[in-house]
Amino acid sequence: MRSALALVLVVVLAALMMAGVSQLPPPGEADQAVHRHVAANYLADGVEEGGTGNRVTAVLLDYRALDTYGEVVVIFAALIAVLLVRSAGGPRTQPPPRRVPVSPVVDQVIRLMTPFIALFALFMIIEGHVLPGGGFQGGVVLGALMILLSLALGPDRLRGALHTGALFWLRAVAPLAFTVSALAGLGLVGWWFALPEPGWMREFALVLLELAIGFGGAAALTGFFLSLEEDIHR
Amino acid sequence: MVVLFAVGLYIVLTSQNLLKKIIGLNIMETSVFGLIVTSGMVDGGSPPLLGRGLEAPYASPVTHALVLTGIVVALSVTALALVLIVRVKRECGSIELDELLEPEE
Repeated sequence: MRSALALVLVVVLAALMMAGVSQLPPPGEADQAVHRHVAANYLADGVEEGGTGNRVTAVLLDYRALDTYGEVVVIFAALIAVLLVRSAGGPRTQPPPRRVPVSPVVDQVIRLMTPFIALFALFMIIEGHVLPGGGFQGGVVLGALMILLSLALGPDRLRGALHTGALFWLRAVAPLAFTVSALAGLGLVGWWFALPEPGWMREFALVLLELAIGFGGAAALTGFFLSLEEDIHR
Repeated sequence: MVVLFAVGLYIVLTSQNLLKKIIGLNIMETSVFGLIVTSGMVDGGSPPLLGRGLEAPYASPVTHALVLTGIVVALSVTALALVLIVRVKRECGSIELDELLEPEE
């Protein structure tokens, strides 16, 4: 009964949305509204104003830096909430479960691949302002590497290796870096999130921001995974 | 994209399992991201980068940045929901909605 009602509702809604979407301009035509106005301006001036050949990065870190600031704050807030929910559950009561060791093939392959994955993640973060990639993408690769290592070595060994004061601050590095960038832009150039002139300083600032986003994102992802893992075995 | 959205919404509405509801939510999000990012592409266009062989027309960088932000928010929501589900399981012993909503004897 309930699922039949839901089916009717979904079908009616889908028909309405289909009617709406079919009225949208067809994708792929260069003279549609999506490609005029701001997008055209970003494409025309993004290289000079944003200081980077990657116009997506120019939008993210220069034109709409305020939105990206909100974005990193969202990740940070989610991480805080996850840690709060976990710590509200009290300390671990059961002993940690005995781990089933992964197969030696998986273990060896993960160990073998780790440096290459880490290198690729760093490359994506550092070259992200000129090539496809960027802080978020590289950060996700780095976070996935941490999850992979946690599966191969066991979460407790990873936790032990990562349990440093630096990691604690790494979780907050992206919001902090954006705050510094906003204030520095206000102080040095005159408006919030402005990137400093000349070009090489601008590029340096972009790389620093991308590094902060990348490592902050990776730390958040690792934090999500480790607290989930700990929570499940409690 | 509409079909994908409808599938996700149907899962969210009918599934009794909280975990499956989250999966449905993610399917819905994916459909929206796909719609936005396809609206920004151009036939025969190149990615909005500088480089050899890349020239106008470029795909719109705005939709890319928009979807990137959306994905990050979706990831944060999913992570928080998963932790809350684990908590519900520990406190109430189930993640099936019909079992959770039953009055306690």
